[in-house]
Amino acid sequence: MTQYIDKIKEIANRVLTEGKVEMVIGFRKGSVPMMNQPHLATSAESVDELVWDSNCGLNLANYLTDKKGTIGIIAKGCDSRNIVTHVIENKIKRDQLYIIGVPCTGMIDHHKINAMFDGEVLNVEESGDSITISGNGFSETLSKQELLAENCAVCSHRNPVEYDELAGDLVEEQKDVDQYASVTKVEALSADEKFNYFEDLLSPCIRCYACRNACPLCYCPTCFVDESRPQWVGKSQDPTDVKTFHLLRAYHCAGRCTDCGACERVCPMGIKIREFTKKLNKDCQDLYGWEAGLSLDERPPLDTFKTDDPDEFIK
Amino acid sequence: MAENEPKILSFLCNWCSYGAADLAGVSRMEYPPNIRVIRIPCTGRMSPKFILAGLRQGADAVWVSG
Amino acid sequence: MKNLLEHTGLEPGRLHFSWISSAESTKFVDVVTKITDEVKALDPANKKYVKTEPKVD
Repeated sequence: MTQYIDKIKEIANRVLTEGKVEMVIGFRKGSVPMMNQPHLATSAESVDELVWDSNCGLNLANYLTDKKGTIGIIAKGCDSRNIVTHVIENKIKRDQLYIIGVPCTGMIDHHKINAMFDGEVLNVEESGDSITISGNGFSETLSKQELLAENCAVCSHRNPVEYDELAGDLVEEQKDVDQYASVTKVEALSADEKFNYFEDLLSPCIRCYACRNACPLCYCPTCFVDESRPQWVGKSQDPTDVKTFHLLRAYHCAGRCTDCGACERVCPMGIKIREFTKKLNKDCQDLYGWEAGLSLDERPPLDTFKTDDPDEFIK
Repeated sequence: MAENEPKILSFLCNWCSYGAADLAGVSRMEYPPNIRVIRIPCTGRMSPKFILAGLRQGADAVWVSG
Repeated sequence: MKNLLEHTGLEPGRLHFSWISSAESTKFVDVVTKITDEVKALDPANKKYVKTEPKVD
């Protein structure tokens, strides 16, 4: 992953000096390990700050909503799918964008790594496929495959679907991954068991809305959680309110979620929020054969009507 | 209360099911009194919010009809 | 809609969809009766997603 950065910088510098774009959206090193920050580069000096490694798990498409002017954006597989979703939903025009595609081999899961060690993780170095994690009194080298974020481990669209230029050779897509293993497991439970499963899953939620803010799909000017007339969801920590929030958020992502994992990545409590969107993704796959963000010309199933749409649930 | 009398929150489309309900009334047909009807201008007005809000406030079941 | 709610533990009989034309009053009566029977068969104590008042110690 780290080898792409020279090429990324070269492209970024070129498109900026040629005046093709006004800024390039990428990542810079964060103030804590494993947390890269989004970075808007507008000059040669700020391009130098760009980094690319296995901690770029945030979704940069989030920063495109309703932007004016021309923008260069560094996009891995999931970012590019969300850019496509943005274009389809008229949130940005394709010709405003210069997409620098980056084939991705997955991002590492900082929740998992922090949980593996007792002390604070102070430094994470990456070289090729191995990751060295060190802190006060410990240092360990592990293979990246073991540390992948859950969504990256089952990702089947590692290469960008839409790009103007690539920063490296396309990587081989993962085959034979069961994307929906966790969903199938929950589907087998009874109604009560399911209810308890999700009750436990959500019990640590503190309603910080980090998942909503990190999500590239969540761009409503006024989010339903902030509406008070009528108030759709209470602002308390009551389990019903928490659940209503997560369910409604998931419905808003139906047929649009690309499983980029940004929500889980930013959750301070490490809740597996993808359990909800995953189920809807599976339904979209089963009912309409649809995966979000793969083509600029196709309309998503929930905004078109076809006479052969499934309707068994209607009496 | 001896028998279980559930409350069923019903969202009926003005042009379809609401009309049917009206016709049922005019024709003096009998049906269970457990439904609580909310008339919506069209089933397109329906939103997942309504269903969850209904359940949250204690409806036993929700019925959406176009 | 129905799928995710049931996925998270709502009983199947608690959400219904139907399609009735304004001329089909008999179908309307049929459906209401059917749904009411189905909901009556469910345990009223097993309502999910009901907002509870905050507990005060």
